[in-house]
Parts: sequence; C-alpha cells; structure tokens
Amino acid sequence: MIQVKKLSKGFKSGDTVVKAVNNVSLTVSKGDFASIVGPSGSGKSTLMSLLGGLDKPNVGSIEVDGEDITKLKDHSLIRYRAKNVGFVFQGYNLVPNLTAQENVMLPMEFAGVAKNQRRPRAEELLNQVGITDDKQRRKPARLSGGEQQRVAIARALANHPKLVLADEPTGNLDSANGKMIFNLLHKLAKEEETTIIVVTHDLSIAGKTDKTFKLTDGKLEPGKK
Amino acid sequence: MNVVSRGVRNAFRNQVRTLSIVLILSLSIGLSLVMLIAHQAVGQKIKDVKSQVGNTINIQPAGYNPLSQANNALTTDNLNKVKSLPHVTNVIETLTDRLTTIGSSQPEGPFGGTTSNSNNQTSLASPITLNSDGNGSFSSSGGGQRLFISGGGSLPANFSPPIQILGTNDPSHLQNNSSATIKSGQLIDGSKDSNDAMVSADMASKNSLKVGSTFTAYGQTLTVAGIFDSGTRGGNDVVVVSLPALERLSGQGNVVNSAIATVDSADNLSGAVTAVKNTLGSSADVTSSLDEANNTIQPLKNVQSISLMSLIGAVIAGAIIILLTMVMIVRERRREIGILKAIGGSNLKIIFQFMSEALTFTILAAIIGLIIGVVGGNPVTNTLVTNSTNSSSQSSAGDNFAGPRTVKAGVAGGPVTFQRAGGGLVSRNVGGLRNTLTNINTNVGWDILAYGLGAAVLIAVIGSGSAGWLIARVRPAEVMRSE
Ligand SMILES: Nc1ncnc2c1ncn2[C@@H]1O[C@H](COP(=O)(O)OP(=O)(O)O)[C@@H](O)[C@H]1O
Ligand SMILES: [Mg+2]
Repeated sequence: MIQVKKLSKGFKSGDTVVKAVNNVSLTVSKGDFASIVGPSGSGKSTLMSLLGGLDKPNVGSIEVDGEDITKLKDHSLIRYRAKNVGFVFQGYNLVPNLTAQENVMLPMEFAGVAKNQRRPRAEELLNQVGITDDKQRRKPARLSGGEQQRVAIARALANHPKLVLADEPTGNLDSANGKMIFNLLHKLAKEEETTIIVVTHDLSIAGKTDKTFKLTDGKLEPGKK
Repeated sequence: MNVVSRGVRNAFRNQVRTLSIVLILSLSIGLSLVMLIAHQAVGQKIKDVKSQVGNTINIQPAGYNPLSQANNALTTDNLNKVKSLPHVTNVIETLTDRLTTIGSSQPEGPFGGTTSNSNNQTSLASPITLNSDGNGSFSSSGGGQRLFISGGGSLPANFSPPIQILGTNDPSHLQNNSSATIKSGQLIDGSKDSNDAMVSADMASKNSLKVGSTFTAYGQTLTVAGIFDSGTRGGNDVVVVSLPALERLSGQGNVVNSAIATVDSADNLSGAVTAVKNTLGSSADVTSSLDEANNTIQPLKNVQSISLMSLIGAVIAGAIIILLTMVMIVRERRREIGILKAIGGSNLKIIFQFMSEALTFTILAAIIGLIIGVVGGNPVTNTLVTNSTNSSSQSSAGDNFAGPRTVKAGVAGGPVTFQRAGGGLVSRNVGGLRNTLTNINTNVGWDILAYGLGAAVLIAVIGSGSAGWLIARVRPAEVMRSE
C-alpha cells in the first residue's frame, strides 16, 4: 500500500518558485491499477519521480508498505528503486548498445540477483511481453517503438517490484500499440500483484483503471473514484 | 554482463572516435615511455661516469712543474693533517728525484747539469734506449717517454737517459697509481728509512742486478730488496726506495712532491676536496677528476631534466586527452546515466563502468604507445645526448680534456726540451669518458612495461575520476523529462 501525505515539491526559476506538486495526499492499495491524468505541466511527472524515489519532496511523506521513503538516505533510496520500483518512460529509455535481454538483465545486476538467474528471468519476461526468439538479442535500434516499450515493461518488472510507475507509456505510440501496451500493463498488474500507476492523456484508458487522480497546477482534484 | 564488460563494450560504441582517441593517446603514452627510457638510460650513464671518476684526490705543491727541480714541496706534517680528515682513508705520499748515470753527459736544459745536483748520480744505467731516425729527432723505446729536441740540437755522445728515483710510503703503488708486481724479492717497507731499494725487471737485467745486489746512488750503497714489473716501460725506468730514505738521501728533509688521497666513497669526494684545500691552503694544488667529470655529466643532466619534463608533460597531456574525452562522453550520455540511476545503478557502479571504458582506451593506447616507446627509445635518447654533448663540448673548448700536453721549457739558449706525453691521470680518464659518452644503452625491461601500464592506468583514473564527478551530479529525475 502506498500512502502519500501532504506532498509538495517546488522548483526555483529565477525569483519565483514553481510548485510542481502542491500539497498532494493520496492512497493506492496493493495490486491497484491507478492512473494520473492532467494537462501538460500539471506536475504528473514530478509526482511520479517523487513516488519512485528519483527526487525528494520539500515537505510531506510517502509511505510504501509502512516505510517513509522520503526519509531514506541516498544509498537506501537506490536500493529502494532497484528492488521495489519499475519505471516505464514515454521515450522507452532503453540502453542503446545493449540487447533486449541485456536491458532486462540490467536492473537484476543492480539489485544483486545471482548471475545464473538473470538470463532465464529476462527470457521469461520478454516472452510474456511478446518479444521472442532473435528479437531478444536485438539492440533497441532494430526494434519498433511498440517492441521497445514492451522491452521496457519487461525491464520494469525484472525484480518483481511492488510498484511500477509508467509516465505516458503510450505517448509515443499509435493507438493500436498504445492499447496493446496498456493491456499488457493491466494484465501483469493482476498476474504479479504489482501496484501500477500510469500517467496518461488518454481518458479512455484512464476510465478503465481502478483509480484515477486528476492533477491541475500541482493540486489533486478531489472527488474522482 | 557487468560494469567492466559494459564499459569495455561502450569503448567501441563509436569506432571512428575510439580509433582517433586511441591514436592520440598512444602518442602521448609513447612519448612518455620514450622519455622514461631516455631518462633511465641517461641516469645509468651518469652513474657509470661517476663510478669511473674514482675517489682519489691529487695533491701537488702549488705551481708544481715536473720539469723543474726548483719546486715547492709539501711537508709530511701537512699531509698528516690531510690523513686525519674525515672520509680520507689513505694518503700515498711520494717524492721523486732524477738520477744521472755516473760518467754520462746531459744536454743543456732543465735536466741538464746546471740544475742537477752533482750528488744525484747513480751507478745504474737506464733500460731505455734511444733510437735516432737520423733527422735529429729521437723516439724512445720506452712507451711512457717521448724525447724531443727542439731547435735541431743534438745529444752528447755519451748521453744516457736519466733515471727516476721514487720515494714512497706505499711501494705497492707506483706513479700514476699503477701497481707494482713483485717478480722476485719483496716489497720494501715504505715507512722505514733503510737503503733497501726496488728496481724494475728491465733495470735489473740492464744492470745485471739480482735480489741482494748493490748499486750506488747519492754516493751511498743501496741494496736490491725486490724486483718488480710496473707493466709500462716508462714505469720501469725507476728505482723505488722508502719515502724517509729518499728524503734522507736527497737531503730534502720531510718533504713530498706528490700525494694521492683516497676518499671512502665517490659521494664524499667533493666535500673531501674542499677539506683538503682548506687544510693545505695556498701551498698546494688540489685536484680531483670531479670537476672534469661534472663537466662531462652536465649535458647528460640536461638531457635528464629535458626527458623528465617531457615525461611529465606527456603524462599530463594524456590525462587531459582522456579527461576531455570522458567529459564529452558523459555529457553525451547524460540520459543513459539517468536511466542507469533510475533502475538502481549506484554512482559508484556507473563511475566504474565509465572508468572501464576509459581504461580500455588507455590500455589500447598503451599497447601502441609501448611499440612507439620500444622503437623510438634508443634513437631519441641518442639524438638528445648527441645534440647536447656536441653543443656543450664546443662551449667547454676541449681544454679540460686535453690529451698529450706539451710544456714549453722556454730556457734561453736551451735547445733541448724533454716533454712527457699524456695529460696526467685525471684528464686521460675523463677524455676516455667523453669518448664513450654517446655510447648509451637504452633498456626496455619489465619495469618500463610496468611503468607504461601504470601511467596508462593513472591517466585513465585521473581522466575518468574527474568525469565521475559529472556522473555523480546527473539527477535521475531528469529521465522523467521528455526529450
Ligand atoms: N527540474 C525542473 N526544474 C525546474 N522546473 C521544473 C523541473 N521539473 C518540472 N518543472 C516544472 O514543474 C512543473 C511540472 O512539470 P511536470 O511534472 O513535468 O509536468 P507534467 O509531467 O504534468 O507535464 C512545470 O511547470 C515544469 O516546468
Ligand atoms: Mg510529464
């Protein structure tokens, strides 16, 4: 379970401070598939990076299974990310000179998974997302956008994370591929009992999730689901 | 896959860039190795030169002229003070005089009867025989002496070459520090005043002497106690007695006209020279081969410092090359670094990965650089040494390294001058050093390989360590920003 309380994060730009996330409180239950919607610049990505431990808030707390990750030291935060969080980005963000398999094995290496377990797990995950056979040994440049994003999902799931954060994962894809990625995330959330939070513009997608949070100018709109 | 293999693989991501970086870097590593090789070879040569300089100090009365009989003399009292100086382990003291054969005539000049004491006569005849070439000049069969007659004069009919009598406190060492090998009889005691003498085997056979035979000198009867061979013909034209004996026979008192002090090590030589000079003051000329050796070594020292500077410069250049390369690469891959951080890579692991990449560049460059070093080390060293010794020997005018030295007697009306060949112990040795100066052997051993590798690793670590600082500053949250 994820419990966010009175979370705020501001960025200085010149003399003014932009409050990208402004006093946000929310709760997501284990295994939930939640979405965050809102216009561009409303603070969705900033909220995601706070949840994923990529950045620290100015005030507020984020409890993941009872542990406040905003209090963690840098090295513990790295461990938290490695073991508990999987990221899927709009721009796929695969490492270009590693094969699909190697990209999926990378977080396992960082989390200290035994060497001989990494490749079988990567093969299994890639098969689940539909990247099979020789495509597993291709580098990202030789895969389509939809395929790259499926590899990214496999990479995000590599260490059985408690939380998968996907920031506009379908933003660069056509609607068919976008739907396919979304269904994949949905299916895996149920199969692996992983909590998933997706940022999306696509309200048809948002409508299918367990929970939807609407952000405007860093503030959460009350009353939705 | 791990950080190291990823780093190595990343080194080949952009092959054109990899090739150019490796080539530039290999030039800097090659240059540093060449300079290291030169530095070591020259350092070894300096050591060799220094060890050849020896550790002796020559002491002679001020203004001493071996051709003159009217020289100042050193006193044994003064030399006893030298003996007690720190680092001076031994002082060989000698007094020489010239004997003429009874019944022979000497030409006018510095050795002639005018300056010769009529008492300085011996029953012995010199083993050296003179060959006339019929043109009024003579060469001697004895290698050590060369006789010239300037002004075309001629020698008296019953001329016999003079004989040197040497009084020494160390009869095992003859003049010019050559050693006497005893053929029969025994070494005389240099400190005891007796009429025992040593003669050379040549002298003995010329005069039909055996151990126990007697001859006369200074009107006294001397007994042959030992027969020696000095190894040189000139050194064999000598009668050796103890120092106190010659002081008594020649009536000169407690004087010495040459001494050689031995210093415990060459490192203490210059200090000891100063101490001896201070002790003897203006009454003595104190020389060692140190000054001349220093002149010889100076160009080598210049090469040494040039090569050291170039070595440091090349290593710094290499470090800057790899530093700029890594900064460029890190800036290029900011996003990738952010991803690695986001998915759980620690700063340390990511920095290690980039260090492996930098190390791959430098090790490749080190291999090529090593080839450059091995191929270029010898010619570059020789060029450096040859150029700098040539320019310095012009400036030092060659006089320090004079070979045969001629002394004009300048006696009015004295047509005959005897001149001794050879510039003495010091200049002859150093002249020899000069000749072999450019004979420098460069050596590429395991230590050079290790230094090369060490330099490469150092360059890589310095270069990528600074890039690591940039890596650590990449915020993982940046990856959330869409490109
Ligand atoms: N690193 C940053 N430095 C300065 N301002 C930032 C930074 N990240 C985000 N912002 C600002 O915070 C606000 C929210 O940005 P973001 O979270 O990216 O919005 P969204 O993802 O909803 O488009 C924007 O006004 C953006 O300019
Ligand atoms: Mg965003």
